[in-house]
Amino acid sequence: MAERPRILQATTPGTFSRSLLSNITSTPNVSAMSTKNEVELKNFFIFNSSLGPKEGEEIKKIVYYFPPTDSNDQQIKNVGLVEGIIQFTETFKPSSEVSSLHTLKQRQLYYQPEKDFWIVMTLIVPTVKKNKDSTSTIEYLEDDIQDNVYSAVLQQAYLMYRLFWDTFHNAFKKDDINVFKTRLDVFYSAYIKTMKLAHSDILNIFSGIQYLPLDMQSFLKVQTFINELECNYNDIVHSAFLYNDHLIWSGIEPSDMKIAYQYLIGTLLPANMETELQGGSMPRNSGSPFAALHHGRFITGPTNLKTAKTVGKVPKIYLFGGKTPCTYRLAVYRALSASVCLFIKDVELSLGFFKELDEFMSSKITSIVSDIAEYCSKQVLTPSSLPESTPRFIYFNKLNLAYKSTVHLDNKQSGNIVCARDSLKIIADINKKKGIFGHSGEVIVKTMNDYWVVGKTSNSREFYIAINQKNASLIDISDEVKKICDTELKGIFFHPI
Amino acid sequence: MSSTVEVEPGAAPESVLVTADSCENFEHMNSSLEEIKNLIEIKQAAEESTIETVVSENLEETGNFSECDDDEDDYVQNSEWTSRKKQVFVLSMAGKPIYSRYGNEDKLAWLFGVMQTLVSFVQSTNDDCIKSIHAGDTTFVFLVKKPLILVTVSKTHESENQLISQLNYVFNQITSTLTLTRLNKIYEQRQNYDLRRQLTGAERLIDHLLDFTEKEPSFLLGAVQCLPLASSVRNTISSAITGACNKIKNLVFAILLANNKLITLVRMKKYCLHPADLHLIFNLVQASESLKNSENWTPLCLPRFDSSGFLYCHVSYLSEDCQACLLLLTVERDVFYVLSQAKQAIVEKLRRTNCLEAINNSLTTNEETCLTAGFTELRHYLYKCKSTAQFYQPSLAPPYTLEKERLLELYKRAHQHLHCSSRPLKLVFEKSSKEVVLAWDTKGFELYVVFEPLIDTTGAINLVGKLLNWIKNREDKLFHLNAPTF
Repeated sequence: MAERPRILQATTPGTFSRSLLSNITSTPNVSAMSTKNEVELKNFFIFNSSLGPKEGEEIKKIVYYFPPTDSNDQQIKNVGLVEGIIQFTETFKPSSEVSSLHTLKQRQLYYQPEKDFWIVMTLIVPTVKKNKDSTSTIEYLEDDIQDNVYSAVLQQAYLMYRLFWDTFHNAFKKDDINVFKTRLDVFYSAYIKTMKLAHSDILNIFSGIQYLPLDMQSFLKVQTFINELECNYNDIVHSAFLYNDHLIWSGIEPSDMKIAYQYLIGTLLPANMETELQGGSMPRNSGSPFAALHHGRFITGPTNLKTAKTVGKVPKIYLFGGKTPCTYRLAVYRALSASVCLFIKDVELSLGFFKELDEFMSSKITSIVSDIAEYCSKQVLTPSSLPESTPRFIYFNKLNLAYKSTVHLDNKQSGNIVCARDSLKIIADINKKKGIFGHSGEVIVKTMNDYWVVGKTSNSREFYIAINQKNASLIDISDEVKKICDTELKGIFFHPI
Repeated sequence: MSSTVEVEPGAAPESVLVTADSCENFEHMNSSLEEIKNLIEIKQAAEESTIETVVSENLEETGNFSECDDDEDDYVQNSEWTSRKKQVFVLSMAGKPIYSRYGNEDKLAWLFGVMQTLVSFVQSTNDDCIKSIHAGDTTFVFLVKKPLILVTVSKTHESENQLISQLNYVFNQITSTLTLTRLNKIYEQRQNYDLRRQLTGAERLIDHLLDFTEKEPSFLLGAVQCLPLASSVRNTISSAITGACNKIKNLVFAILLANNKLITLVRMKKYCLHPADLHLIFNLVQASESLKNSENWTPLCLPRFDSSGFLYCHVSYLSEDCQACLLLLTVERDVFYVLSQAKQAIVEKLRRTNCLEAINNSLTTNEETCLTAGFTELRHYLYKCKSTAQFYQPSLAPPYTLEKERLLELYKRAHQHLHCSSRPLKLVFEKSSKEVVLAWDTKGFELYVVFEPLIDTTGAINLVGKLLNWIKNREDKLFHLNAPTF
């Protein structure tokens, strides 16, 4: 219960709940012969060399550094190495700037999101300690860390910051450097704790969106609702509609939506669910016959309209997907299992406006949600109820960033997966090589323990299948793949390969 | 996947070559030389002095078939220099330049300094070791092998392991001219030593070796290809060599090769040659045109065989009319004339038995392409028999006659896919718009096949079965199945 105040805070912009499974852990895999250490975060820092060009002022280059327990000398030394590596690699005119450094014990990833600003993340390579005849050897599992996965994690860390606080350079123009540093500190110190390094995988590379396929009737109802909303309230520029973790409608660019989606799914909604489960601020049926009809409430903005004196915190967000960057206020309204995200003009908001919105939405949303719920209940099995040997797949469409996975049992990145971890890594390996296929291609591989992994790419769509069928032949597998494509990708344009 | 072949084609009860993974780090060196010398109780003079004299001898000997080409004049600002596909640098632990594939080392001294700093900086924190840096299309690989540091900067899309293996070859080429013992001794005495003084001549071998590793699949596979010869002919050649040499003491290996392919290898009982050492020998022969003109006598260290000392090598081509190269390797330093006579005897025997003609015939005959062998949907393949470390490939056919490099890239990629160190695979079937590639790793063999792009899995599997039978039927000819000894 002591956690509750913190969870509520999680709904304020850019703070991240700690309760979402801290992943910076080493889970000792207890077995007789060997112990394994998972990947760990060593440090994470942001620097800009132009901020401290003079000798003796190197510390000024660093705008954020984790862990704060590292001495200044240590910090300067680490930045110095990165600067050296950047310079050294530039000598050879690579096609893009340096992205990673591999050493026996560590992996360092680099990302330059804006000119002169570098974000650096250092990971400790997982190890296996093997005990053999009273001597123990440590083996470093370098290949367990896949550059493409962790580069995506790093990029995500930047995009999430930018969503709430604008670009580094703009912040610089507007504010004092110390304000900027404090903001980075508040944001990243919390964000780092929510990064799930040990369970990062191909989904981080996609950082996609799960859509909910609907029947036409229900979909039109959602759209009518959105149109009505936007017509009646001109201050609402765009909106998005989610049902549980699935997106049904979004009016903003996919590249913006994917970050907003990650914030909603990864932070805001789970934190809110917890308060609901703990009987937090959800209006209760207090005997009043009318209360039962009122199902919605704002989870950003005035969370309890009955008692609210101000509009509360409506986070400001920055979107960059359109022609020009835009600033909005993000209000999220939640009713039953649906969430309506309102991208409101960045103007002074009044409590009356929210009260009006609440009335408008709560009256309409109940019937829409019950339609959707009914449609969904008629749909196919959930992934967890399928038998073990069923082929599992991951689908991704680069054009609308849609993904679907029957490998992952939830989207919390908690490692709750139903195929071998190596198969998932092989999928990321295949993804790295997809460039060589050109427009379309297919790879089928058989692993050492006789599992199969298939990757297909065509028309910006990617489709991966993990099959745990021993004793199958290559021909069996390619037949199986054809069958799965027929049932799962019906109506999706895919080159017949 | 099954075929009617029971024993993989090319397998033999005994192998002339040590079989080992090609990517393996060349850490474990044998001390075969000691063994041989002790075995036959040759009294050695004090170790120190021999090594000293040997090195100076070595320089005289190798100096005559190589010249240092110092006329290149490149700078880092030069776009030609930065656009090179693969740079290779060798430096000492103290940062002294030793070798640069392109450009003059002295003008790049600062760059060597930076590389040394990176290595020692990473080492100083937590006793770590720098391995690679990745930037877009460019991969930087570091191999720290005391007392040297080897670095490659590559835009070739080869994997880290493949690049490390190439750097290991460069290291071995250096030890091959100096011996590892000597190399260590030099730096123990003077950390700041300029090793280039000892390596004039070896530079050209390194240059050639690097080109070689980029062009030949043998390095990728850790195997050698044999010159196709009827088994009776190969046996006659082997016995001609045995006959002429079996009375010569301390002869360790006799190797006959032509056009980058092995004809036969006769060895001292108990001792095998590692493919990596044989590759260095191939490189030596291939890189030195001047060997054709005369009989040569050169010390040569084979690092996988014994990195501490030299073997002495009699190198000569069989005759004006047969361009096969014979190498006789011994532990004795002064048996040039004995070996020279043995060579004459071998040539005469081969001429009498028409083996020279058979070798020439094989050299001038183009090997079958997949098409002429009757495989219409098959474009090219590499077949490696693991137990003998030998491989076979057919002649190039269109479209790869014009895209040889791309074909090798396909193979390199498939090889890397199969042998990824933490997630090795048994089989890869890769279909793109240009071709279908099948890579298959079994207990006995590795097979890499390139098909027409429209083939399906059933067609591919059927063809692979037929192909294995086809190779099996010709294994006598395509592989060296005996492992003759003196």
